[in-house]
Amino acid sequence: MTLCRKNMTPLQRRSLQLMGSALIFTVLTNLTTPNLPNPLLDMFPGLSKLIAHNGLSSGLLVGTLSAISVLPVLFAVWVVGRYLKAEPDEFIRALVVRALLWGFAVTMAGDAIIGVLVNFYLRPFPLTLLNADLFWVSTAIAFRLTLRSYR
Amino acid sequence: MKNLLRTLRADRNWSQADLAQKLGVSRQTVNAIETGRFDPSLPLAFKLARLFELPIETIFSE
Repeated sequence: MTLCRKNMTPLQRRSLQLMGSALIFTVLTNLTTPNLPNPLLDMFPGLSKLIAHNGLSSGLLVGTLSAISVLPVLFAVWVVGRYLKAEPDEFIRALVVRALLWGFAVTMAGDAIIGVLVNFYLRPFPLTLLNADLFWVSTAIAFRLTLRSYR
Repeated sequence: MKNLLRTLRADRNWSQADLAQKLGVSRQTVNAIETGRFDPSLPLAFKLARLFELPIETIFSE
């Protein structure tokens, strides 16, 4: 049993697929940045008018939008929790947890850098709005890099 | 912890992948245990002991 894509266990393959959908879901529900490409906004042009700026008409709409953006994050956490619970290989479990910590560190570092840039240039940077994707992608990279040291 | 895993495996002409398959873990797990970078849990240590038909304390030592 190795961890090349072709030799993944069904559990690992399924978890990876679910995580991929969580990443796409994160981008799709990122409705607060009209500058970023978003198929949902293309399909429903009226949506961009609703959420474009401070003209949000009701607190209910703001609450709904923020609740929607939470869903992919919760989904991704559920996927990882489900994987960690079911993974029989304790060493791989430990590596995944370590990779999650690296992902957290990279996200925090990225946020700190972007925070300085935003304050300095007084304009928003898209990276800040895709924290979840940054976290999961950096976690995946950290996992692959850590695994390489045990070849 | 030190262990005799590499020697025991070599005696049987098993590759890391062979041992990993017998234990139901990844090859990287076997590598990590052999190099002393990862200490296995009790269930995995018992599995190893059963597989090599040796007491745990013979395979692992402080």
